[in-house]
Amino acid sequence: MSAVTASQQRERREMSGPILGMVLFVASEAMFFAAFFGAYFTIRANADVWPPKGIPHLKIDVASILTVILVSSSVVLQMAIRAIRRGDPKRAMTWLGATVALGVTFLGLQLYDYSQLGFGVKDGTFGTLFYVMTGLHMAHVFGGVIFLSLVLWQGIAGLLSRTRYEPLEAGAIYWHFVDVVWICLFSVFYLLTPR
Amino acid sequence: MKPGRPAVRALAARLVPAASAALLSSCAKQGISPEAQDVHRLYVTIMIIAAPVFVAVEGILLWCVFRYRKRDDEPASQTVGGARSLGVFFVIPAIIISVLFPFGEATLMRIEQRAVPQVQIKVEGFQWEWTFLYLNEGIFVSGKTLVRPAEMVLPVDEPVQIQLTSRDVVHSFFIPDLLFKRDAIPGRTSTFTFTPTVLGTYQSQCAEFCGLWHSKMTFDVRVVSPLDYQAWIKEQRVAAKSVTCEPQGTTLSMIAHNISWNHYCLAVPANTPFTVNVTNQDVGIQHNFSIYDSFFEKKNYFKSPRITGPASETLNVSGLPPGHYYFQCDVHGPAMSGAFIVK
Amino acid sequence: MAVIQAPPRVEPEPAPRRLVGWLTTTDHKKIGILYLVNSFSFFAIAGVFALLMRTELARPGIQVFAPHAYNQIFTLHGTLMIFLVIFPLLAGFGNYFVPLQIGALDMAFPRINALSFWLLPVGGLTILSGFLAKGGAAAAAWTGYPPLSEQLGTGQDLWIAGLILVGTASILGGVNFIVTIIRMRAPGMTMMRMPVFVWSILATSLLVILAAPVLTAGLIMLFADRRLGTAFFDPTQGGVPLLWQHVFWFFGHPEVYMLILGAWGVVSEVIPVFSGKPIFSYRGVVLSFLMITALSFTVWAHHMFATGAVELPFFSVTTELISIPTGVLFFIWLATLWKGKLRLEPPMLFALGFIAMFLIGGIDGVWAASPAMDFAIHDTYWVVAHLHYVLFGGTIFGVMSAMYYWFPKMTGRMLSRRLGIWQFWLQLVGFNLTFFPMHILGLRGMPRRIADYAPDRGWSFLNLVASTGAFVIGTAMIIFFVNIFLTLRKPRTAPDDPWGGSTLEWATSSPPPPHNFDSLPPIRSNRPVHDLREAERGENT
Repeated sequence: MSAVTASQQRERREMSGPILGMVLFVASEAMFFAAFFGAYFTIRANADVWPPKGIPHLKIDVASILTVILVSSSVVLQMAIRAIRRGDPKRAMTWLGATVALGVTFLGLQLYDYSQLGFGVKDGTFGTLFYVMTGLHMAHVFGGVIFLSLVLWQGIAGLLSRTRYEPLEAGAIYWHFVDVVWICLFSVFYLLTPR
Repeated sequence: MKPGRPAVRALAARLVPAASAALLSSCAKQGISPEAQDVHRLYVTIMIIAAPVFVAVEGILLWCVFRYRKRDDEPASQTVGGARSLGVFFVIPAIIISVLFPFGEATLMRIEQRAVPQVQIKVEGFQWEWTFLYLNEGIFVSGKTLVRPAEMVLPVDEPVQIQLTSRDVVHSFFIPDLLFKRDAIPGRTSTFTFTPTVLGTYQSQCAEFCGLWHSKMTFDVRVVSPLDYQAWIKEQRVAAKSVTCEPQGTTLSMIAHNISWNHYCLAVPANTPFTVNVTNQDVGIQHNFSIYDSFFEKKNYFKSPRITGPASETLNVSGLPPGHYYFQCDVHGPAMSGAFIVK
Repeated sequence: MAVIQAPPRVEPEPAPRRLVGWLTTTDHKKIGILYLVNSFSFFAIAGVFALLMRTELARPGIQVFAPHAYNQIFTLHGTLMIFLVIFPLLAGFGNYFVPLQIGALDMAFPRINALSFWLLPVGGLTILSGFLAKGGAAAAAWTGYPPLSEQLGTGQDLWIAGLILVGTASILGGVNFIVTIIRMRAPGMTMMRMPVFVWSILATSLLVILAAPVLTAGLIMLFADRRLGTAFFDPTQGGVPLLWQHVFWFFGHPEVYMLILGAWGVVSEVIPVFSGKPIFSYRGVVLSFLMITALSFTVWAHHMFATGAVELPFFSVTTELISIPTGVLFFIWLATLWKGKLRLEPPMLFALGFIAMFLIGGIDGVWAASPAMDFAIHDTYWVVAHLHYVLFGGTIFGVMSAMYYWFPKMTGRMLSRRLGIWQFWLQLVGFNLTFFPMHILGLRGMPRRIADYAPDRGWSFLNLVASTGAFVIGTAMIIFFVNIFLTLRKPRTAPDDPWGGSTLEWATSSPPPPHNFDSLPPIRSNRPVHDLREAERGENT
């Protein structure tokens, strides 16, 4: 146990190259989404009424389920990391598999939600912002599912261990980021849009 | 000391400031309004602060090149600066900036002061021409792309308010002799005032790249005496009213070519439905056909969808009560308009 | 942890595999050279575009191009010069010399490094392929303001796609540089012992990873508006055309510093070496770089003063604040020259030319930073003069300094000194002849980006002067390319350290072996090679 803590401390003091690379990449991605949030608030500030007239207003039920799915997937992924740090790659892969499954569920459910909304991407600025921003987020979730599936495949092939789990850690940083972006999107489109 | 030196120095003491003052101010336009002259003074002020910096840096650079060229194999002294010299390096530009910034702000505040306007002009930019609507006088002028520039006539010494917008892409309303420009942005109106005080004609043009004929999107500003201004207004009003024509049946044929219509006056019989055959010959450019009460566009009687050229369309319009109406292409506004008479 | 130990020397590859070797290489040195070859190729193309523009503008009237062709040419001149020439040139030197200067074996992620290079020519050719599209190449200027950029044809889509590729490449490259610099330094190479060029690349990379994604976001909005029918910039549907300008310049102003920081790094290396002195204040340079990096995110709307829709005093004051760290750099360069032993070799000539010319680009920016004055000169030829004094008088002079300085290290051959001096003087004279008159043209009201002007505007003579100067620059560039061509045919005779350098790249052979170093000198200051030379001299006497 003390050996684990020591190695963990070392990890923290000296972030390895790939992890640092992922942190920087996520910083870059954060600026990417920040630009869209900037666009959202610019357009909203320029509009006379928000949401614009003629937009059926968003129902919060499916979106709340989506939020629960994504947040719990982050928690489950953290369980996977805990398991691998404890030296239990098998259990870690189970948790990771669950994360991937939750990610896929999120994608499916969001596509269903799209079909129920009653407005499209061409329906003015609200449709524009909603579909482009959530769509780009979905693309990122999709990318995360692919990335984590590759890590899962590595783990099943026995390539991950207590001392070597960088891909899992890098994947987790990315996945948590995607989760945070969703929470921002959920807040902006569902909680902060006047009814 | 050589005997000729003091004389040379005295001469230099007179010539150098005079020559540099001439150099400093001659390049820039002097300005045709008090605001513009303020900006010109700001230009000279910055030059007075910047020129010594330029001379000092280039001078030290040249001095080093001539004085410190390597001539022997003795190593140079390995001096480096400490915190104090670094502090000095930071302080000097900071002082220059703190002197400079207030000048700029003071000028900005003066040119943004709003006088009570005597003339109000709505300026619309579109690809690639300008339209000037004189709001109080009820007239408008427009140019014709590639043929003649639009002309804005202004009375001297009267504050002018410009309400600027664009019908399509971003343009910029730039009068070089006013040392001022403002972007014309679609979906947004910018308002500013100025007071021309010097008679003359000033060539001006669009300053924000706006596509194919950007370079030809010119206009003239003609500053005239108040009497000439009144005469010009009257002349424009008469010209607008004198446009008349008689109904020739219930079919109108309209051709849009090079961003202008083939008719500037249309007439139809009262309370009778009529058809308009619109042919757009401008490749890749949109036009439409609309009927309003006047160019103020207070009441719309008919509006066709936009037609991208080359294409033709037949429009059916229901009958109108007798009166004097106005037609235009909404894409290009009053520049493509005319009188619509129902008798 | 990267520990530098000398692996056995690798034998050079057999000749037939050489081409495949270049195409599949992950060696940072080869990739660095690929960057330079690619950038100078686009430089030649975009330079010819510039000459075509100057030919058209030499006299009033339309002689060479219809306006539509002119609009495409100037759009691609700007786009290529900024995204495929200047930035990749600096990235190329960074690729070659950052690992060498910090004593590393390679970049942190060699394969990502290769990917981020290869995206560049693909992106550049995508943009250029617009000439084959119906309606021609992109023609909405390098700033691509909507709604104009939403009107144009397929060429504009190719422009968007190409820029997204180039942007992605630079983000990957930026991450790679930062991780390399943070993680791969040799033992003893602390952050405050890194060469200033490495600091300049670190600062550039920070700007890239934080600013480039914002441009990508803007380009996606533009593409969505054009092809998916969205309404980001469409005022008829509630969109905001100014939004693009905010997004673009939020990227675009840090971009300016991405284009100049590397050149500052080069000049801050070259001046001490050829003055026989250490840099006057190492900390001052590093501090200035970092201050500029931070400040460059606060000034974007000074490109938008004339919209009348931005906070003028705020953006004016932040813009003028940037001149403080920039001024500090000038003081440090001059203080380094002061009482030095100046050797006026070509790298030094170009570095001195850099100081002299970039100074003008810095000073004429002060007028534009004052909103009242900017209303007069914004979007006129004054701005064209200003930006070329920064990017040509600054960066291209810095790049030439770097070429003459590092060419022997990269190839084992010294570029001709005679041709170098000819190139320098022609470039200096041609450059000023072309761009200085543009200040006066701007003051006389000549807007930029016009294909033609009337003969009665009083602009004809100065335009003729500028066009003449452009061909003098063209001659200087031909001499440069001839110099490279002739030198590459000569045998490898350059010594390991031809200039008496101070940084680690001079501690290995010219060109370096694939693993970079057989052995590293001890690193106890920011001038390890200078320390080694002094120690040897001490032993000998």
